[in-house]
Amino acid sequence: MSSEPVVDVRDLQVHFRIRRGILASQTVRAVDGVSFTIAPGETLGLAGESGSGKSTVARALVRITHPTAGSIRVAGAETRRLHGQDLRAYRRRMQMVYQDPYDSLDPRMSVLEAIGEGLAVRGVARARRRAETEDLLRRVNLPASLTSRFPGQLSGGQRQRVSIARALAVGPEVIVCDEAVAALDVSIRAQVLNLLKDIQADAGVSYLFISHDLSTLRFMADRVAIMYVGRLVEYGTSRQVFSAPQHPYTQALIAAVPDVSAPEGARPARTRLTGEPPDPASPPPGCPFHPRCPAAIDICRTVRPELRLKVTGQLAACHVAPDQAGADAAPSTTEGSEVTSK
Amino acid sequence: MASDRQWLARRSGGPAVPPGSAGPGSADSGGPVVTVEHLTVAFPHRTGTSEVVRDVSFAIQPGERIGLVGESGSGKSLTARAIMQLIPAPGRVSGGRVLLGGTELGIDPRLKPSTWRGTQVAMITQDPLSSLNPLVRIGVQAAEMLRFHRGLSRGAARTRALELLAAVGIPDPARTLTQFPAVLSGGMRQRVALAIAISCGPRLLIADEPTTALDVTIQAQVLDLLEQMTAEQGSAVLLISHDLGVVASFCDRLLVMYGGRIVESGPTAEIISAPAHPYTRALMASVPSMTGDLPDRLASIPGSPPAGGVWAAGCAFAPRCPLAAPLCRETDPELLGVAEGGVVEAGSATAAHAAACHAAHDPSWGLVAAGGGAS
Repeated sequence: MSSEPVVDVRDLQVHFRIRRGILASQTVRAVDGVSFTIAPGETLGLAGESGSGKSTVARALVRITHPTAGSIRVAGAETRRLHGQDLRAYRRRMQMVYQDPYDSLDPRMSVLEAIGEGLAVRGVARARRRAETEDLLRRVNLPASLTSRFPGQLSGGQRQRVSIARALAVGPEVIVCDEAVAALDVSIRAQVLNLLKDIQADAGVSYLFISHDLSTLRFMADRVAIMYVGRLVEYGTSRQVFSAPQHPYTQALIAAVPDVSAPEGARPARTRLTGEPPDPASPPPGCPFHPRCPAAIDICRTVRPELRLKVTGQLAACHVAPDQAGADAAPSTTEGSEVTSK
Repeated sequence: MASDRQWLARRSGGPAVPPGSAGPGSADSGGPVVTVEHLTVAFPHRTGTSEVVRDVSFAIQPGERIGLVGESGSGKSLTARAIMQLIPAPGRVSGGRVLLGGTELGIDPRLKPSTWRGTQVAMITQDPLSSLNPLVRIGVQAAEMLRFHRGLSRGAARTRALELLAAVGIPDPARTLTQFPAVLSGGMRQRVALAIAISCGPRLLIADEPTTALDVTIQAQVLDLLEQMTAEQGSAVLLISHDLGVVASFCDRLLVMYGGRIVESGPTAEIISAPAHPYTRALMASVPSMTGDLPDRLASIPGSPPAGGVWAAGCAFAPRCPLAAPLCRETDPELLGVAEGGVVEAGSATAAHAAACHAAHDPSWGLVAAGGGAS
């Protein structure tokens, strides 16, 4: 994983203007300075509560939403100002699988048509499309006989596999999975997660895997980024973040996961977060997490912490967690490589 | 929907039960709060009827916390709705019965649901937006049950509603009373729904996926609150979820449903440490752990859960079961006790830990030896 990152996002900003009353309007910083990299064949997990901006990051990456500022480099090329033909070419490298396959598949298109569209984008001749569709269906463990079915005739798990096959049809380098398994039954979820891993081993595709479910992220992701109100609060390898979380928010998220496999007698100590995430339109001053933080000290109420390298090797934006000796308040973008090393 | 009905009932005759007086199944005995006996729920369709809940039996003791786990289509929500007598038409209870205390529901037409819903059994659902009336201020909805069932005056009901909202952690109860449900966050709405549900001190609270739509930190808050509020009132809880982690962290006893039937039941700790049914095991194995080493691949169950009401002959899980033998495809196994070492207890349909699986009942299948004590 020492090669050039396939995705290199630096200081991404996505702001929305919302109306407040008749004349007033207000800027919501849905994504406020997010930087990360994804290596070829790697999975970056992105977690956070609703409203944290994680889906906005995904939408900015596939350019459904236009970034306000910052840079998104894919395979070395800046992509933020692409439009027209170039944007379409870009989208061929970057596909998205959504939470709800009921919404993302056109109910009036057969499986062949839905996947065939993706093949057409890649320039596959019409005559070859049926054969290639059947191939793709086999890759996602569906029978080739499904080509003539419509989404309404498929189960939830089958639909999500068709969505994945359609994303693969374009031949992307990166697939953004936005809560791709959240709507599936537990037994089906495991099948789809295994499938995504197989496809990655096979095709070397990278994932930006967005999920609110930390146990799923722990299984899927090589590295993990935790978002809170538009910013990353922790960023490191899966091992660093899950075995020694540095940010109190990450710690609380992990503690809140009900885990069946936790040792018996250990209904885990209930360290509960109080309160709810702040309104992204008016985040509190200082560290946006301080009103809910059990470890908050005076400085947290006034000074917003930057991402800094912590003793455990990952980046975290917290005044309280101890910094690694000699670590400067370097902007996170230059630290990306350090976090990558396992 | 329930509130409409209560509103109508109030308009057309006032409270059926004066405050404090006993409705059916009130605290007269030490028996179960609710008993479900051989419950079968059927939906008619073009070519016949399909039974989406089949022969489900269990009892809920006062103050007990029971978890009902299953995937979509397993019949868990309809089991809850059958207790509430809220099976959506054209479905109906086609067999078995539900007892509230010692009284069978749905027999005596004088025993109107409004006499026991809310006071004896209350329910919260996954999305409070669908159970709260979007056009009615929260204050009116919170006071409604208190005025109707408890006969409180407008002012007294408001005071009590304020107390309840404060108790469930609403930051500014007085302001919330004047608001409409849509302006609240999901977590706050669920708190309001919980406050309303417990306002008349039900003996059983049914919580159907109460935290599924919530973020994980808010889920933890709501579960804590559910635990605290029901413990204070001594209410039993029937917690329904697809998430084994959620029910295991909350409940004393679990019921695992598959294909409309209970396939395993028993104390939480026993089921988690030694699951007897292959489906329960597979469910546990298919959720990635938060601790310890992770496998490269998750153990997954092939195939998908059966679509509602269309079951294979024999055991409904047989088509997906790694252990299935010809017997499983012919005979639906009974829910029988599983004891350590695989010895079936005599007359064990009421055993503490029971499973509906041929393999779990016969040591020669090797399941018990392999699975006993394994995690």
